[in-house]
Amino acid sequence: MVEVTHLRRRKKASPTRLFIASLRYGAIMIAVFIAVFPLFWIILASFKRAADLTQLPPAVFFSPTLDNYVTVVRERFFMFFQNSVIITVASVLLSIGLGVPAAYGLSRFSLSNKKVIMFFVLSVRFVPYIVFGLPLFLIMVNLGLVGTRGGVTFVYILINLPIIIWLMKSFFDDIPTDIDEAAAVDGATRFQTFRMVILPCAGAGIACVTILSFIFAWNEYLFALILSGRNAQTLTVGLTRFLGGMETGVRWGLLSAWSVAVTMPVVAIALLVHKYLREGFTRQSW
Amino acid sequence: MRTGKEWIEAIPYIGPSLIVLGIIAVFPILYAMAGSLSDWHLHRASSRTLVGLRNYFELFGDPRFLSSLSVTLLFTALSVLATMVFGFLLALLIQKPFRGKNLIRALLTIPMIMTPVVSALAWKVFFFEADIGLINWLLGGLGIRGPAWVATSPSAFFAVVLVDVWFMTPFVMLIMDAALAGLPREPLDAAKIDGATYWQRVSHVIIPMIRGTIVFTLIFRITIDYRMFDIIYIMTAGGPAFDTQVLSIWVYNTALRTFEIGYANAGAVVMMFIIGTVCLAILIFGLRKVGERVWSK
Repeated sequence: MVEVTHLRRRKKASPTRLFIASLRYGAIMIAVFIAVFPLFWIILASFKRAADLTQLPPAVFFSPTLDNYVTVVRERFFMFFQNSVIITVASVLLSIGLGVPAAYGLSRFSLSNKKVIMFFVLSVRFVPYIVFGLPLFLIMVNLGLVGTRGGVTFVYILINLPIIIWLMKSFFDDIPTDIDEAAAVDGATRFQTFRMVILPCAGAGIACVTILSFIFAWNEYLFALILSGRNAQTLTVGLTRFLGGMETGVRWGLLSAWSVAVTMPVVAIALLVHKYLREGFTRQSW
Repeated sequence: MRTGKEWIEAIPYIGPSLIVLGIIAVFPILYAMAGSLSDWHLHRASSRTLVGLRNYFELFGDPRFLSSLSVTLLFTALSVLATMVFGFLLALLIQKPFRGKNLIRALLTIPMIMTPVVSALAWKVFFFEADIGLINWLLGGLGIRGPAWVATSPSAFFAVVLVDVWFMTPFVMLIMDAALAGLPREPLDAAKIDGATYWQRVSHVIIPMIRGTIVFTLIFRITIDYRMFDIIYIMTAGGPAFDTQVLSIWVYNTALRTFEIGYANAGAVVMMFIIGTVCLAILIFGLRKVGERVWSK
């Protein structure tokens, strides 16, 4: 069977067709190269010694070292890492805890102002972050929340909650209401229906929003820069220390090792569960 | 009244989210609006006086604010246009099934997933660096002496646009890819039988069919670029001179470097109203033909 289709395809392959096909593959390969090269390059750089880093032509073959990673750990990497993990995980859990029931409510109850609420939630996503960032900074200074993980965590809900509500509503809308009605006939309350019938059906949706909101929170920089003070600095804020001032200059090796450590978790997620990521990104614009 | 009873039942589900959004979204905006009406400097906390709309009048005579506005609009226009074109072409390119498609598609999304601060730094210190950066080394091989990319005018602006295009093209590609994969075959086959060439099919059949997706992608892309902070701040911090000082960086610098809080708030409010107007206009004009698909659910 395989043989036959193979032959059939071969017969159709005229020179122009082959030429166009190879152009296509060539273009795809160039695109992949451009997409991946910066990541590849910092991974490479993170294993280089100082002399190899500034050498021209750039060293592709060199004797690797772990020195950069060792120094990064000594530069209190794990303090920043701990902040990032706690803030990201807490804000993702809070956003999902708030957003999933809200999406269910907006999907299943017949409310008169539903469109207004959906538009309000969407419009929060269109407001530039700095417009929130500045007043939130002033408010949190007054409340003494600047420089606390709790403050940053709470503000991160702002990034993810609107996305979660919109995405999850679209997932809930896809689940037929017959199921709700069947559960109601069996005597389930609305909350029981939500928790025991609808939620289990929406597993893929929950996976999507968890992954998306994890990535957005982990990668965030502006709010962290403004609000994290000295004690709640996340990995993204910590990274810029290696750009150095006039006297030290760029500390290339440390910068690379730190960068790899910051970006690996999200890249791993993106590659391992790419299906959910794609679904999340494509649905949110519907 | 049915909806009234429904509302009471729905409040435990929807209420908490609305309260939280009220606290972290609505209240800060009102706070910013109130603050924008006063002469308010952080370093002299006592002297906060109400000045009405004076900050707004000042804004529109402030060459630095106006230049930030035009830099933002130009940055947004250029990179939205480029990402829409490249993202769409890339999506077309990967439409036909081929071996390893899922892996290729996953690899193509890496720029969008990588921490933006990391990407910006990688481009800045490894590629755009004046003396040992890869780009100038390659140009040197061709006998061209490249500029100090992120430190001189006008290359800094284009460097920033380039990195943003690299960052956001996968976003457009993913959405367009899904839209293309979901298209019905019949209109395309019919056009093919009628003798339409590939590009005629793309422009006369495919693009009109995914118009709704294009409008929504456009809005998302515009809002993301319009608020861009991290990539530009890391690469240039708004420099050289004020070449890449987009509005987000203007607000940040005005508030947290020169401490003119009232003035910065006024700028932020103007920034918000501009993007709100643009989005509404696109929604209204762009979706008129698509119908009520989005809101009718």
